[in-house]
Amino acid sequence: MRIHPFLRNVLPLLAIASPALLLAQFQQPTPEELKMTDDPKAPGASAVYLNREEITDVANHFKSNYQRIKVLKEKGKELATIRTSSVVHGVDTVTDIEGRTIHADGTIIPLTVKPDDLMDFKAKNYQVDAIVFTLPGVEVGSIIEYRLKIHSPDYRINEPVWDIQQAYFVHQAHYSFHPYIEPGYHIINSQGQTMTRLMYAARLGADAKVIHDEKKDIYSLDLTDIPAIPDEDWMPPLNTFKWRVEFYYTNAVTGADFWQDAQKYWSNWIQNFTNPTKELKNTVAGLVASGDTDEQKAMKIYAAVQKLDNTDFSRKKSYVERKKEKLKDIHKAEDVWKQQSGSANDIALLYVALARAAGLKVWPAFVVDRDRALFDINFLSDSQFDNDIVIVNLSGKEVYLDPGQKMCPFGKLHWKHTFAAGFRLSDQGVTIATTPLGTYKDAVAQRIAELEIDEQGNVKGVVRFIMTGPDALHWRQLALQNDQEEVKKQFNESMQNEIPEGVLADFDHFLGLEEYETNLIGIVQVRGNIGAATGKYFFLPGLFFQSRAAHPFVAQDKRSTPIDVHYARMEQDEVVYHLPPGFTVESAPQPTTLSWPNHALLKIASATKDGQITVARAFARNFTVLDPKDYNDLHDFYLKVAAADQQQLVLTRASAAKGN
Amino acid sequence: MRRLRPRTSHLASLVCLGLLLCASRTGHAGLFGHVTIPQWGLDAYKTHTPDYAKDAAAVVLFHEFVETVDAQGRAVERERRVKRVLKPQGRSEVTCDVVYDVDEKINYFRVWTIAADEKQYQAQDTDFTEEGDTGIPIMLSTRKVRIAHPPAVDVGATIICESEKLLEPYLQETVWQFQSGIPVVFQALEIDLPAGRAHTQSWHNHQPVQPLEVAPNHWRWEIKDMPALDLREVKSHPEWAALAARMSVQWGDAAVEGKDNQWRAIGQWSTTLEANRPDPSPEIIAQTQSLIAGAPDFYTKLSRITEYIQKNIRYFIVERGIGGLQANYAADIFRNRYGDCKDKTTLLISMLQVAGIHAFYVPVDHRRGVVDPDFPSLMGDHMITAIELPPDIQDPRLKAIVKANDGKRYLIFDPTDERTPVGNLRSELQGSYGTLAAGPSSQVIALPVLSPDSNGTEQKGAFTLSADGTLTGSVDTSHIGPEGAFYRRLLKETDAKEQREIWETYVAETLPGVTLDAFQFTQPSALDKPLEFHYKVTAHQYAHTAGPLFLVRSRVLGTFTRPFDDKPRTLPIELGATGRWRDSFDIAIPPGYVVDETPNPVDIDLDFASYHSTVSAKGNLLHYEREYVVRQVEIPAAKAADFRKLESAILSDEKGAAVLKKQ
Repeated sequence: MRIHPFLRNVLPLLAIASPALLLAQFQQPTPEELKMTDDPKAPGASAVYLNREEITDVANHFKSNYQRIKVLKEKGKELATIRTSSVVHGVDTVTDIEGRTIHADGTIIPLTVKPDDLMDFKAKNYQVDAIVFTLPGVEVGSIIEYRLKIHSPDYRINEPVWDIQQAYFVHQAHYSFHPYIEPGYHIINSQGQTMTRLMYAARLGADAKVIHDEKKDIYSLDLTDIPAIPDEDWMPPLNTFKWRVEFYYTNAVTGADFWQDAQKYWSNWIQNFTNPTKELKNTVAGLVASGDTDEQKAMKIYAAVQKLDNTDFSRKKSYVERKKEKLKDIHKAEDVWKQQSGSANDIALLYVALARAAGLKVWPAFVVDRDRALFDINFLSDSQFDNDIVIVNLSGKEVYLDPGQKMCPFGKLHWKHTFAAGFRLSDQGVTIATTPLGTYKDAVAQRIAELEIDEQGNVKGVVRFIMTGPDALHWRQLALQNDQEEVKKQFNESMQNEIPEGVLADFDHFLGLEEYETNLIGIVQVRGNIGAATGKYFFLPGLFFQSRAAHPFVAQDKRSTPIDVHYARMEQDEVVYHLPPGFTVESAPQPTTLSWPNHALLKIASATKDGQITVARAFARNFTVLDPKDYNDLHDFYLKVAAADQQQLVLTRASAAKGN
Repeated sequence: MRRLRPRTSHLASLVCLGLLLCASRTGHAGLFGHVTIPQWGLDAYKTHTPDYAKDAAAVVLFHEFVETVDAQGRAVERERRVKRVLKPQGRSEVTCDVVYDVDEKINYFRVWTIAADEKQYQAQDTDFTEEGDTGIPIMLSTRKVRIAHPPAVDVGATIICESEKLLEPYLQETVWQFQSGIPVVFQALEIDLPAGRAHTQSWHNHQPVQPLEVAPNHWRWEIKDMPALDLREVKSHPEWAALAARMSVQWGDAAVEGKDNQWRAIGQWSTTLEANRPDPSPEIIAQTQSLIAGAPDFYTKLSRITEYIQKNIRYFIVERGIGGLQANYAADIFRNRYGDCKDKTTLLISMLQVAGIHAFYVPVDHRRGVVDPDFPSLMGDHMITAIELPPDIQDPRLKAIVKANDGKRYLIFDPTDERTPVGNLRSELQGSYGTLAAGPSSQVIALPVLSPDSNGTEQKGAFTLSADGTLTGSVDTSHIGPEGAFYRRLLKETDAKEQREIWETYVAETLPGVTLDAFQFTQPSALDKPLEFHYKVTAHQYAHTAGPLFLVRSRVLGTFTRPFDDKPRTLPIELGATGRWRDSFDIAIPPGYVVDETPNPVDIDLDFASYHSTVSAKGNLLHYEREYVVRQVEIPAAKAADFRKLESAILSDEKGAAVLKKQ
């Protein structure tokens, strides 16, 4: 399990003797199981788990696994190879490995090959191994069955994490945990507090419940018919809906107590770290002018910390380098300024300290990275939080800042920090709060093309990509870790799906790459052939940037999980085709307005004049996360968008138009 | 043979089907705070970054291998390397690592950095990690990599690495991969051989360089200013490993005069290594006899055995030291019903032996062009089978036939390819080379390029267009040869939900806004029968109104285009596969409309490919038909203009629209 930041350095102590739990025995398959060729509970599945069992017995220092799998299709054979990872070399031992394959006719083929103990990862004083074996004679229709035990030494206490949902449907699952701490021993956290309570966070189906047999002190969970982990495009982080139970020791009595304690600890720590020391006050005096408004101060300090070496975008110095350069570990904001370097979080908190030193009303927040996970209040751990951001009060209005994100404009958050929950400090103390979502106006991508077309359909011209928000931040941050030549190559590669087939794009240069407060402009030269002709007519893609766009949510007409598109966004295209002499527009893309009220809008318009036609397209998506029940509307809307985007521009030669 | 080496190159073991090699590391460091960079490293550090490297992310200033071979032919390899970071992304290029397996040993591994500000560092114990080769789910491998994470790796920093490793005892060849993804200023290979031991050298994509004899039977080759091989922006290029320059030194049995003799020795070595592995057990004999009982002809007998192995032996790689090259015993493979490419070949040879058919191992590489007949070497990553055909067998179903230099005919078959029928051959292998490991008759053989009729797809669609532009209809496709095998593999590796999703996505790539109304496939058990898909689609607003006109793209589904551009071409052009692909689409136009105009027909005939397309109208039916034939798998750069002409024509045809108008 991930260790809570202030549960690190837990000292797991000795524990011996406890009732042993028997490993599940191999089962005689039923005739129905042997005959099964498809599972009505998981139609079309390549395999299903008939049984899964995981027993953790701390008193007897072992964890056992038992699995019984029916292979229904070729792909299901992948489950024949077992890889037990995270076995700590020299500490854990794996024993009692037994396995067998049962064919549909009842023939049993036992596992006779000795499993391999392979080094998985090794660093100084630490090695993790993987036990690997594959079962013999596995064919479609087989039942695969195996079990094993992992023994840990008595000084290790492993609270289990039960990953209930698997890649395949599970018919029956049994989980059991017998915790044990030997009398006289206790578990403490890094603050020296004794953690006496065992708690768990559970995300389960409606009827499932962890049972605690207080007499035997055994936690157990029995489940049937567990659906496979969903796998769809544009899903929110899996942690928000994957069934899972996680045990941990804590000193809190209730969840509310836990969060209160955690908030208190964080508040003390953060106040100490961001203390506006005298030195920082002197520093900030050199950054801002006495006559500056609060906003000016806030912006000047922001600009100053943006200039620092942000090791999330450069490189964290090794221990040897730091020693050689006589750099101390960072314990407070002042250290970051002195070293002119720090992690993204260090720099965000330095901003808080400097802003405080400047007399601004400013608060830190510690939020989850929404690209990784969503906050779950039932999981009592602040290891859920990833990044520090800042809230500053300017003229009575709270403005969210992301100083740890290099090249992020003042007043904006990286999308992964929008709609992200976490601790935030305010005048009322620490609360759990969620950052605001951006709107489509915060993420605008404009594409302006000026294209010359000749009589053969050859195209030549310039495209200007004008970006604000996440697109601009992406390229600017990429440029921090790569030279411009590499950024240019990646930009060219990214454009391949935005321009018609047959057109080559050569990125020319960026404007504003190093100026994060401005729009980012990419200038691209394009050339190629986009025309198709019949005797009288000449066709061009009506929507230049959409001719091979892969629209999401079109192919699949059903949805089981929420939709997460990360952030709202707007695309604005304007394409000017300069027509070859003697050609006129027979038909332009139809004026189109498609609206999904309160969610999205598409507008297409065109205008013809003096040998040229301008086609404009605007598409705004003003949602970020949708419920599955909204999918039908989403699907229908995107179907219409996909169809509208395929319109053609029809030209005729002047003579042909006259019927010659 | 000895190991295949240097950076960015693949090692010699038969990982099968190009499964990636592991990486690993470990190391130890000097005393903390006391840094003594060796003189050779300091000398290399003084090398100025040459102008030709200025666009590279990093540059190798110095790279040297010294192989010291003992009387038994076993080598100790010392590697010294000095790299400089030129761009921020170059940091990842300068990692040092040493790959090793159970029969090898790292004697030492040291790494230093001279930072951009000229400060000097030595990597400490904590700067080394080690990783097992555990990333591939279907592989059990004992290979490991020790990786150094040097300090102060910033732009301008120079990284100096030195390692020494005792190499496997069973290989007596070194492959020096002296071209990589970044330029190299100076590099050298030394082979220090015991007195009297012979050696031979061969070169791939590079003029031979004569060695200096720096001491008795101690040879040194030097290469200066080797450019990077960067294919990132080259469209339709051959395999990187096929193009990169390399050389090989043999000092074992293959160190003999003449390429044919060298290939013979390499094949003999493989033959010896696998000797007795195919010996059939009683169970294999019984199974084989049961399979071939009543088989009316050679093909039936053969296909029953090959299909048995293709369908019943699960692909699973076990690599423990020499196990990367040597197969398991046939009896074990048969009992466990799993194995890798060597194992599948072994069991096939075993069963064919029971059936009275001779067959042989053929080490190859799954990447066309890597095995080079002018480069005798064990280099490769895959094992297939050569089945000797009796002189009287003339069966048109047996297409993948090569004739050896002794006049014997061999059918080339890849038992690891679970879906390509015997007689045919996976496209990637066509046009490649392999070693026929037939004892004293061993030789390098060219794998055949099959005729277009051995591979391809027939696609037929019947659609109805509504006045509102909606297209509905059904599509039937039939796939044979390697293309059929590709789709069979797709079906094998996915469940029903994934199959539908993949097909929906595939159709939507060329038919935007489509929904899949029905989807089914027919997969005959016999692999030489076509695989069929049958599906129904609806595409809203497929046809668009343009003033008084109604525009309908006549090519409804699918694309035959390959990536191309108009840049000057120096490298060969990869065509992928020979084959014949046909589309035939009928679109019933809405009542009240007539076809006003159709796109012009396309007729292109080139020596390597042809493309013909027509659109016609008859009554209320708009009919589109095309045929694309590819006759070669690769063409020289000189044909780039023809290739562009072909691709432009296909692209233009695929965009073509028929014009309807109201009557």
